[in-house]
Amino acid sequence: MATSSVSCFEDIEGIGSRACLHCSRKAFALCSNCCCIRGLVRSPITATLPQIGSRLFLVWGILWSFPETRTHLLVSSLLISWSITEIIRYSFFGFKEAFGSAPSWLLWLRYSTFLILYPTGISSEVGLIYIALPFIKASEKYCIRMPNTWNSSFDYFYAAILVLGIYVPGSPHMYKYMLVQRKKALSKPKSE
Amino acid sequence: MKLTLVSRSGREIVKGGIQLSDSATVADLQEAIYKRIKKHPSRQRLTLPVQPGSKERPVVLNYKKSLNDYTSGNSETLTLVFKDLGPQVSYRTLFFFEYLGPLLLYPVFYYLPVYQYFGYKGERVIQPVQTYALYYWCFHYAKRILETFFVHRFSHATSPLSNVFRNCAYYWCFGSYIAYYVNHPIIYPVSDLQMKIGFGFGILCQVSNFYCHIILRNLRGPAGEGGYQIPRGFLFNIVTCANYTTEIYQWLGFNIATQTIAGYLFLAVATFIMTNWALAKHRRLKKLFDGKEGRPRYPRRWVILPPFL
Repeated sequence: MATSSVSCFEDIEGIGSRACLHCSRKAFALCSNCCCIRGLVRSPITATLPQIGSRLFLVWGILWSFPETRTHLLVSSLLISWSITEIIRYSFFGFKEAFGSAPSWLLWLRYSTFLILYPTGISSEVGLIYIALPFIKASEKYCIRMPNTWNSSFDYFYAAILVLGIYVPGSPHMYKYMLVQRKKALSKPKSE
Repeated sequence: MKLTLVSRSGREIVKGGIQLSDSATVADLQEAIYKRIKKHPSRQRLTLPVQPGSKERPVVLNYKKSLNDYTSGNSETLTLVFKDLGPQVSYRTLFFFEYLGPLLLYPVFYYLPVYQYFGYKGERVIQPVQTYALYYWCFHYAKRILETFFVHRFSHATSPLSNVFRNCAYYWCFGSYIAYYVNHPIIYPVSDLQMKIGFGFGILCQVSNFYCHIILRNLRGPAGEGGYQIPRGFLFNIVTCANYTTEIYQWLGFNIATQTIAGYLFLAVATFIMTNWALAKHRRLKKLFDGKEGRPRYPRRWVILPPFL
């Protein structure tokens, strides 16, 4: 999965956005599954659930549903941020599983790259959702209108705005969580 | 008796400790602490120190008991662990504001022309089911407020202030969300029979729920003394948390009559929350009433929703 992320990263230059999207979808679907099994075992659900949720929402709810967004520059910054993070993270886990501990430079990378990649990744996510808004409104995709027998409605446009609203308290929460984790991890004497 | 108060990290809270008479109660200690560090007794949590590494839950001091009850032999000094629970609010205040929101916000959607602002202009015809739903809903929350002031006897006097925001958000948001759909101008009303069954069953459950609350009230004295008792009578003979059971079923009645996803979603979330409470209560009662040392043994009962749990 780390390798598919890497090959995806190279694909951005090579084949073009369509193939890139396809392999990134597979990579992230697998990523999410592994996140669930691995990540939830170690990290609190308030940290992993937003991460998984935002990944799935961006890939399926925005990029896959609205092809018009795929050619935007933010897609590249999004995939680069996610890919680098995941490569480092899963290499770290891989080392720990295989050898019992990870090299200190990898530990440092894991708990330092987020300082840049979280802002770039989150900005890309927010930016892409914002860019998709006019397309969401115009297409009326996934919308349920009244009247119906279950007396309910769903407006994807307003739901997307609500999601943007969640990023306001959610991003500082995630960033602070990582800062706390960084302090804990990098202040320990030798290997974890 | 000299009392030393430390925080959970070992720092001394009150310099030099507090000197009290040997017959002093925990409440006296809390008053003395309040005078020294200006934290109201309701936000003071005093526990006996636990051995480092011990997995046991610390013993929380009861404000009514004498301090002597917590010293093991040596009654000259006692070290206690202090935790500040943060600003507190009485449960009555908390419940009042939680329930006031739905009580006032729901009629706004019924009486005032709010749907114009959602794009539904023109004449609005109110369906009978919407009128009955209004009465049912307002009766329910008025009942809850009256029970808060005249029926319930709380085991804890206060709740953290942050719970006010969290609980009010839950009730007020869900209340508005449901009110929007049930009072909608182009609602799809259910059949007359279904509406009658829904509201009829719901009213029956609300009355049962009230009776359950009366039974629970009579387990305790006026000042909340009596602690935990085995509830008996009526539905409590078969279900530990019959009050939650009747509450869940009365919302089911409302949803059968009004049929909205919003209503069923609220039912699902409320059921989830109440089931967690019921499991904790059932476990606590079973642990307390284990049949040893003359205590009665807790009878075999459903937890909350027969025949599932």
